[in-house]
Amino acid sequence: MRIMSRLVGLLAGAALLAHAVPVAAQAEYPARPITLIVPFAAGGPTDIVARIVADHMSKTLGQQLVIENVVGAGGTTASTRAMRATNDGYTIIMGHMGTHAASVALYPKLAYHPSKDFETIGLAAGTPILIVARKDFPAKDLKDFVSYVKANADKMNMAHAGVGSVSFTTCLLLNSLMGVKPTAIPFQGTGPALNALVGGQVDYMCDQIVNLVPQIKAGNIKAYAIGTPERNPALPDVPTSKEAGLPAFHAVAWNALFAPKGTPKPVLDKLTAALDKALDDEATRKRLFDLGSDIPGKDRRGQEALSKLVTSEIDKWSPIIKASGITQ
Amino acid sequence: MLELLNNLVFGLGVAITPMNLMLCLIGALVGTLIGVLPGIGPVATIAMLLPITYGLPPVGALIMLAGIYYGAMYGGSTTAILVNIPGESASVVTTLDGFAMAQQGRAGPALAIAAIGSFFAGCVATVVIAAAAAPLTSIALLFGPAEYFSLMVLGLIFAVVLAKGSVLKAISMILFGLVLSMIGSDLETGAGRMNFNIPELADGIGFVVIAMGVFGFAEVLRNLEQSHNRDIVNAKITGLMPTRADLIQAAPAIGRGTVLGSVLGILPGGGSIIAAFAAYTLEKKLAKDPSRFGRGAIEGVAAPETANNAASQTSFIPLLTLGIPPNAVMALMVGAMTIHGIVPGPQVMTKQPDLFWGMIASMWIGNLMLVIINLPLVGVWVRLLRVPYRHLYPMILIFCCIGVYSVNNAPADVYMTAAFALVGYWLVKHDFEPAPMLLGFVLGPLMEENLRRAMLIGRGDATVFLTRPISGTLLTIAAILLLLSVLPTLRKKRDEVFVE
Amino acid sequence: MADAGQNTSARKRIRNPQDFYGGLVLAAFALFAIWAGSDLPGMRGFAFGPGTAPRLFSGLLLITGLAIAVMGFITDGPPLEKYGVRGPILFIASVIFFAATIRPVGLVISSFVTLVIAAAATTEVKWIESVIWAAILTVFCVVLFVYGLKLPLQLWPRF
Repeated sequence: MRIMSRLVGLLAGAALLAHAVPVAAQAEYPARPITLIVPFAAGGPTDIVARIVADHMSKTLGQQLVIENVVGAGGTTASTRAMRATNDGYTIIMGHMGTHAASVALYPKLAYHPSKDFETIGLAAGTPILIVARKDFPAKDLKDFVSYVKANADKMNMAHAGVGSVSFTTCLLLNSLMGVKPTAIPFQGTGPALNALVGGQVDYMCDQIVNLVPQIKAGNIKAYAIGTPERNPALPDVPTSKEAGLPAFHAVAWNALFAPKGTPKPVLDKLTAALDKALDDEATRKRLFDLGSDIPGKDRRGQEALSKLVTSEIDKWSPIIKASGITQ
Repeated sequence: MLELLNNLVFGLGVAITPMNLMLCLIGALVGTLIGVLPGIGPVATIAMLLPITYGLPPVGALIMLAGIYYGAMYGGSTTAILVNIPGESASVVTTLDGFAMAQQGRAGPALAIAAIGSFFAGCVATVVIAAAAAPLTSIALLFGPAEYFSLMVLGLIFAVVLAKGSVLKAISMILFGLVLSMIGSDLETGAGRMNFNIPELADGIGFVVIAMGVFGFAEVLRNLEQSHNRDIVNAKITGLMPTRADLIQAAPAIGRGTVLGSVLGILPGGGSIIAAFAAYTLEKKLAKDPSRFGRGAIEGVAAPETANNAASQTSFIPLLTLGIPPNAVMALMVGAMTIHGIVPGPQVMTKQPDLFWGMIASMWIGNLMLVIINLPLVGVWVRLLRVPYRHLYPMILIFCCIGVYSVNNAPADVYMTAAFALVGYWLVKHDFEPAPMLLGFVLGPLMEENLRRAMLIGRGDATVFLTRPISGTLLTIAAILLLLSVLPTLRKKRDEVFVE
Repeated sequence: MADAGQNTSARKRIRNPQDFYGGLVLAAFALFAIWAGSDLPGMRGFAFGPGTAPRLFSGLLLITGLAIAVMGFITDGPPLEKYGVRGPILFIASVIFFAATIRPVGLVISSFVTLVIAAAATTEVKWIESVIWAAILTVFCVVLFVYGLKLPLQLWPRF
C-alpha cells in the first residue's frame, strides 16, 4: 500500500511536471527532491506547520520537499547540520523561535549564529502563546493573576515543557515582566505538563495555542491572555495581552524557512515565491487556521522581513534568558 | 448498557463502510510491516503517511493511522520472538520467553499465542473504552509526580523479579541501565550530564540504539563464534499452532494480562511501559514452577503481549477524553486530527459522535484484522528461521543498521549501536542479563524526573511518597515484592547457570 | 580452592572468574561514571541537582559491582568463556562501515559493501553465494525503504 501510494505520488508528480516544467532542463532548479530539515519530532507544532506548507510548496516547485526530522538539543543539532549542508538549495530548514533566536543565549557553545550563518527564505506561520492556569486558580483576569502570583510567588509552581522549549522561554518572559521567580517544574514535553495542569498539580504555564484550545473550551484550565496583537478566532473570548493589561507579553512561536549561507539568490527567490504562494492558498490557509496559527500578512513575509525578525528576536530573548541564569 | 450497545452499533455502522474497512486493513498491514522492521517505529511512519491522509475524510484517516499504531505495537513482538530484537520497550519482556521458545522450535506457538492474546485484549479494552472512558480519565488525573515515582520504583522491582539468575547481578544490571540513562542533559537545568560535550550525546542514548546493540547484534556475535554456525532453531520445529495444553496454560495469563494492561494503559506517564512486565512478574510469582520462566514458558509470552496490547488500546483514553497525548504516537494523532480540522478533547465525544464511536469500533475491527493478517503469517515467519544462518544474519544486520540510522538520520547512532553490540557480547560472556539493564534504562529518567518534580512541588518534603494513598500503596507493594524475591535467594545459593 | 596440578595458580584461585571480572569491570565503569559526572552540581537545598541522581546510581553500581567480585572470589562458578575474534571484528567493522558511508556514498553502495564485509564474519563464508545474496538484499532494501517506506535516504553518491 505504501508502494501504491508511492505510485499515486509518482503519477501526480509526473502530471505536475508535465504541466509546470515542459522543458526539463538539467540546470533548472529544482531538478531533484529538496530536503526540508525539521528540528523537532514528527507531530509537534513546528513539524505540522512544515508539513502543511511543504505539501503546497512541492506542487509549486514541481519537486517533492522531503521532510527529515532531526531531533536533539532543542533543535540546535538540526540547525548545525543545516548550516553545514551544501548551499545549493537542496537542503533547507524550518527554523523557529528557539533554534534561530533563543538558542543564542541558551547555548553559549552554539556552532552557528542564526543571522550570520543562514540565508532567510521567509516566515511560514507562527503559533500564538497563551497564559493559562489550573481551573481553580483564584484570579479572575490577568491583572488579578499578576497580583496574585506576585503576592504568593514562593508558593507558585510554574510548569514548562523542558529547558529551551517554547513554553520555557515564554514563561521566562512572563516571569520577568511580573518580576517573580516561581519554582519551575520541568516536564518532558507539552503533553505531560498540560496533564499536570489539568490535574491541578501545578499552578500555571505558557504554551502554544494548538495544545490548549480543547482544554480551555472544556473548562479544564483557565486562559488569561494571548500573546498576539489580535484575538484568535479559535478562542474569541480570550483577551490579548494588551487588552488584559500586560502589553509587553508579546509571544508567538514563529516558524520560518532558512537555507545555508551562500545559497544562490535565484534559488532563494524561487523558494520564497513558493512559500508565498503556499501561504496564499485557501486550503493551506484553512489548515493552518484550524491549528490556531498566525499566518503572516504580506508585510511580514519575504527574506528581508525575516532577517529583521531574527535580529529583533535575538535581542529580545537574550537578556531574559541570561537574567534567568540558565544556559546549557 | 443499552446505550453502550447502541453506541457501539452506531460506531460499527461508521467503521464498516468498504472504504473504512479498506483503510483499517491498510493501516494494520503497514503497521505490522513497520513493527517487524527493527528501529522503524510508528512515529516516523505515521508522519510520512500524514500527507496521504489529507485527501481522506477525517474518520477514515484516523482509522488508518490508529491501525498503523496497533499494528506496529503488535509487529514489534514478532522480531522479539524470532530474532531477539525488541522493537520497543514493551517487547523487551517478550524476548525472554519468546526467543527461548523460538530456539526450542516453538516460534509458531509463541507468535500465535501473541496474536490470540492480543486479540482478546483488544476486544476487552475496546469495550472498556466504550463503557468507561470518561470515568477512567479521572484515574489519569489522580496520578501526580509522587505517584509516578512510586510506580517507577515498583517497575524496577519487577525488573529484578523477572531476572533468571542472581538477584545481585540483576540489581547491578538495573543500576548499569540507570547510569546509562543519566547520560544526556538534565531536565531541570538543561546542564549536560556525562556527555563530554559530544553533540550526539546531548540528548542521551536512544532506546533503539541500546536494544539493537545489546539484544540483536550481541546475539549475532554470540552465534558467529561457534565454529559451525548454528541456526537459531536448535531443535526441530514442532507445530505452528499452540496445542490444547498450551492454550489451557496461557488462558489465565491472557486474562490477567488484559486486566493489568487495561488499567495501567490509562496512565499517560509511562503506565503502558510498566504494563508488560507487571504482567510477566505476576505470572512468574503465581506460577507453580517459576524456574520455567525465561526458558520458554508460554505464559511468559502470553501475559506481556496481552498486557501490552490492552495498554496500547486504553492509552487512547486520555487522548479521546482529554485531548492530551500521553506519548509521541498520540501526539502525532493529535497533529493528524488538527490537520483534519478536528479539535481532540472533551468535546469530541458529544460533538463528533461518529468520529468517537467510529474509531472505537474500528479498534475492534483493527484487532480482528491483525489476527487475520498475522495467524497465516506465522508460517512465513517460522520458515524465515529455516534460512541458513549465514544468510539470516546479514539480513538482520542491514535492517538494523537502516532502522537505527533512520530514527534520527544520524550515523552516530549506528556507531553507538556497534559499541553496544560489544557491550552486550561482553555481558553475555559474564552471565549478565541484558533485560533488567534495558528496563532500568527506560525507567530511570521517568523515576528521577518524577522524584524531582515531587520534591520541587512538595518543597523538599519526602513524606509525600508515603502519605499520598496511591503512592504509599505502590511503594508498599514494591517493598513486599522485593522481600519475596530476595528472601529465597538468601537461603538458596544462586540459580543454576543459564544454559544456552 | 586447592589447585595442585594446575599451572596457572593465581587465576584458578578465583573460583568464579566470570563474576569476579564482571563485577570488577562494572565497578570500574561506575568509577568512570562518577568521574564523568563530577563536574555536575549536587543537591541545592531540598532540590536535586543535575549530579545527584547520576552519583547516587553510580555509587550503588560501584557497591554492587564490588559485591559481585567478592562473591566471585568465594563461590564456585564456570570458567571464563573464550571470545571470538573473526566474527566480532568483521561484523562490527561492517556496522562501522555502514555508519561512515551511508551519508556520503548513499544506500546502494554502502549497504552492498557492508553486507559483503559482514558475510566474511563467518568461517563458513561462500563468496559467490554471499555476493549474490548481498546484491539481492541491497535491491530489497532499496525497494522497501526508499520506494516503499519513503525514508529520506540517498541512493547514490552526490557529486
